[in-house]
Amino acid sequence: MAVNEKDIDSILEAYPAKVKRNRKKHIVIKDSSLAHQEIEANTRTIPGIITNRGCAYAGCKGVVLGPIKDIVHITHGPVGCGYYSWLTRRNKAKTLEDGKNYLAYCVTTDMQETDIVFGGEKKLAKVIDEVVEIFKPNGVTVSATCPIGLIGDDINAIAKAAQEKHGIPVMAFSCEGYKGVSQSAGHHIANNGVLEWMVGKGEMTEAPAKYSINMLGEYNIGGDSWEIERFLKEIGYHIIAVATGDGSYENLKNTHVADLNLVQCHRSINYIAEMLEIKYGTPWLKVNFIGVEATVKSLRDMAIYFGDPELIQKTEDVIAREVARVEPILNQYKKICEGKTAFCFVGGSRGHHYQKLFADLGIDTVLAGYEFAHRDDYEGRQVIPDIKPDADSKNIPELHVESDKKLFKLKISPEKAEELKKKIPLSNYEGMNAEMKDGYLIVDDLNHFETERFVELLKPDIFASGIKDKFIPQKMGIPSKQIHSYDYSGPYAGFNGAVKFAEDVTAMFTTPTWNFMTPPWKYKPMLEGTVEEEGN
Amino acid sequence: MKRDKANYRNVNENPCNMCMPMGGILPFKGVEQSMVILHGSQGCATYMRRHIAEHFNEPIDVASSALNEKGTVYGGEKNRKQGLDNLIKLYSPGIIGILTTCLAETIGEDIGRITSDYRNEHELHRLPIITVPTPGYGGSHTEGYWLAAKQIVSGLARQTPRHSKINIIVPHISPADIREIKRILDRMDIDFTLFPDFSDTLDRPFSKTYKKIPNGGTRIADIAAMPGAAATVQIGITIDDDLSPGRFLEREFGVPLYNVPIPTGLENMDLFMNVLTEITGSCMPLSLEQERGRLLDCMIDSHKYNFEGRSVIFGEPELVYAVAKTCMENGIFPVVAATGSKNAKLAELLTAEIDKYERQVVLLMDSDFDQIRQNSTSAGANIAIGHSDGRYLTEREGIPLVRLGFPIHDRVGGQRVLSVGYLGTTMLLDRVTNTLLENKYKNYRSSMYEQFYHNGHENNISGKILLSGTEG
Repeated sequence: MAVNEKDIDSILEAYPAKVKRNRKKHIVIKDSSLAHQEIEANTRTIPGIITNRGCAYAGCKGVVLGPIKDIVHITHGPVGCGYYSWLTRRNKAKTLEDGKNYLAYCVTTDMQETDIVFGGEKKLAKVIDEVVEIFKPNGVTVSATCPIGLIGDDINAIAKAAQEKHGIPVMAFSCEGYKGVSQSAGHHIANNGVLEWMVGKGEMTEAPAKYSINMLGEYNIGGDSWEIERFLKEIGYHIIAVATGDGSYENLKNTHVADLNLVQCHRSINYIAEMLEIKYGTPWLKVNFIGVEATVKSLRDMAIYFGDPELIQKTEDVIAREVARVEPILNQYKKICEGKTAFCFVGGSRGHHYQKLFADLGIDTVLAGYEFAHRDDYEGRQVIPDIKPDADSKNIPELHVESDKKLFKLKISPEKAEELKKKIPLSNYEGMNAEMKDGYLIVDDLNHFETERFVELLKPDIFASGIKDKFIPQKMGIPSKQIHSYDYSGPYAGFNGAVKFAEDVTAMFTTPTWNFMTPPWKYKPMLEGTVEEEGN
Repeated sequence: MKRDKANYRNVNENPCNMCMPMGGILPFKGVEQSMVILHGSQGCATYMRRHIAEHFNEPIDVASSALNEKGTVYGGEKNRKQGLDNLIKLYSPGIIGILTTCLAETIGEDIGRITSDYRNEHELHRLPIITVPTPGYGGSHTEGYWLAAKQIVSGLARQTPRHSKINIIVPHISPADIREIKRILDRMDIDFTLFPDFSDTLDRPFSKTYKKIPNGGTRIADIAAMPGAAATVQIGITIDDDLSPGRFLEREFGVPLYNVPIPTGLENMDLFMNVLTEITGSCMPLSLEQERGRLLDCMIDSHKYNFEGRSVIFGEPELVYAVAKTCMENGIFPVVAATGSKNAKLAELLTAEIDKYERQVVLLMDSDFDQIRQNSTSAGANIAIGHSDGRYLTEREGIPLVRLGFPIHDRVGGQRVLSVGYLGTTMLLDRVTNTLLENKYKNYRSSMYEQFYHNGHENNISGKILLSGTEG
């Protein structure tokens, strides 16, 4: 199964020489005999290549801000950008008694040519007024699209004036699509804003309950967060805020008092996690709730952090019960899945996380990669000092935070933290590469051309990715599972999620449809008989 | 009688339309061996591919020049040239479409010049490269569609000796619709060039060998020869002359233009057939006459249910007109007709139709779903016909939705929805009638109970009559 450099070269041969050299650096064959394998990531997309990457606006409004339910998110720009990010990520949110859940709405300033010529500031100000009057939200965000930065609308000034006028937070995000090299830039911009304008605005000064945590980088797609919260609450954790799945300004503003921050999607939220540590003294723990084994490990790591024997016992009790419940079911599905191979190419964390769920089912991930991750998501956070900032990353403002004079509270002593770091991924992420098997492929920013060629080369049994690329393998006769929005299924996280995923994937393997792909006349004659020549 | 309602709000709450480059991609997908590159941020291409792929359930390869901040300062020429190099090397397309976006237009990229420079540098004299200025703020996806269609025709058309083919230019209809129109033309033995033909490219049959650029699409040589055609039948009565490929062929090459509505609905299809028989001299084949008969039979079968329908119709102008007419001739009288596009012609044309009946219709141009919803409830609409985003009418107001048009992203088979011709109309009408019936059945028993056993009083003396169809 293992791939060699020659295979890769023969695929990249089709590119112009310069592109070939560039792409080669984004592809690594895992080899654990080497001290370190570097991969190029978070660099400019090659023009003309059919990439799966999106833009800064998509990362800011679409990913991080979008799921915050009690805030109305205004897209400042022409109609398309708002429309295209309308509910497409399937973030679920429960409406509470206050009725403030605006996720189903797409609100845009719908700029016209005249607005581009004369500026859109007045229109934006009116739209904010209308939105506050219609919805009475707990806050408003304004996300800028490409033309806004170019025509120079001062969205920060408009937001500030509106905030004073209406007495609710109005937050402007300069996440124009051309910023950075992918949606990753937008995550960073959104993280800065959430930390600056939401976190720390609440009344709480200390944790409201024992084992208070925040869950960062969990977006409640298909209800993932609800499944995770189910067992976390049972074990005894108190969840202050989820950033940002089923999240709300009401909860996020008290993020600062938690004892621990969990980081699920490292790429999209690590900035906040880091800044929370500096500003409020709360360390973060890298978790992965995708896959039974990964979930169990994450729960144990959390228990180690708190170190309370009672909590550890409760954790073990819940694990034992849940595993005993789901394992027999998973084992049934495993009979069908075992020995199969997968491609796993998603986002900035799921390319790693879902490998664990596939592994639970006996499926080997032979090619994995991220659309928009950075080197640390592949190689681990220890490489961060080695990453040289380029022109594109310098364009994203870094938020410099200091410890908050009033609210900073060291949650654990530095000595204890050092001790814990030896046992659990505290304020650390080891990256995807560490867990890949030798000979398997790691590909950054996989494109349509390479998808087709790598599928031909490795012939995986299942292709896990997004909607844009899922139809390529499907057309080649290979089932495709959408890991962005789950093909309207889910949740896939936690124990119940693993069962749901196993059920969905197994159903894809076993559907009778695949049996009909080769028409019968291709392999056996439909009519049997002999042709007699005339006159015989 | 109609009532126009202007939208005085600045906010667009739940849009009913998409942006210009999105629409511009589609006609290119209807040309053989074509590839499109969007000049702007890569997010535009990604978002649009995502939406088109979800509707058609097909891979949609659209490249991007992936402009970044540097490009906004120094111009995007380098990126675009590099993009074209890579696209040509990997895909070897037979034609390339370059669509601009908000970004390229706002920084004032001269795509015409960049393209001709590129062509000269690379000596690409035989590879057609068509440029279309489609800033997102320049119009809705409908205008993008027509502008791209017009640019393709004007870019490829060549003075051609007269020939006997006729040009058929289609709006944004489904691949199944295009196939049906081709079948009808074949039945009539008409020699035609249909453009843009995305019936195979956006709805390709399964075959195990994957091709990056799917087979199918209008042949480039056929588009080039459109000026020699005997006539153009353009399904597009709501489009501006500036955006009309048919008008271009008429003005530049003297090809007579017949603008007709989408042949959905008996009258619209009759008109389509009349135009075809008039131009070609062929007569209506018996098989089509029988299809017409079956449609009539269907209309008679369902008329006693359809009169209860009060429809809200929304989507692209061309579709709204055809569906509104279909509803009118079946007594499913529209109470709201709406589009997200700014289209004065649609309002004019619909008003002329509505005036034939003594009814009130609310016409909403440049509308959003908030306005559509409010007007639908106040007008007592009980059936919605349009694309998937109208699902809010069902979720919020219990108005059932018959999915038609683009995008259909919460159901499969958008590419297979057939609604043109006598056959397609029959199928659409059955869907509409059955949706009304389904709602009626759902409420019938409870409304009967309400009428006769209300408050435990058997045989309710007041004899209050409740129409089952008007209940939520």
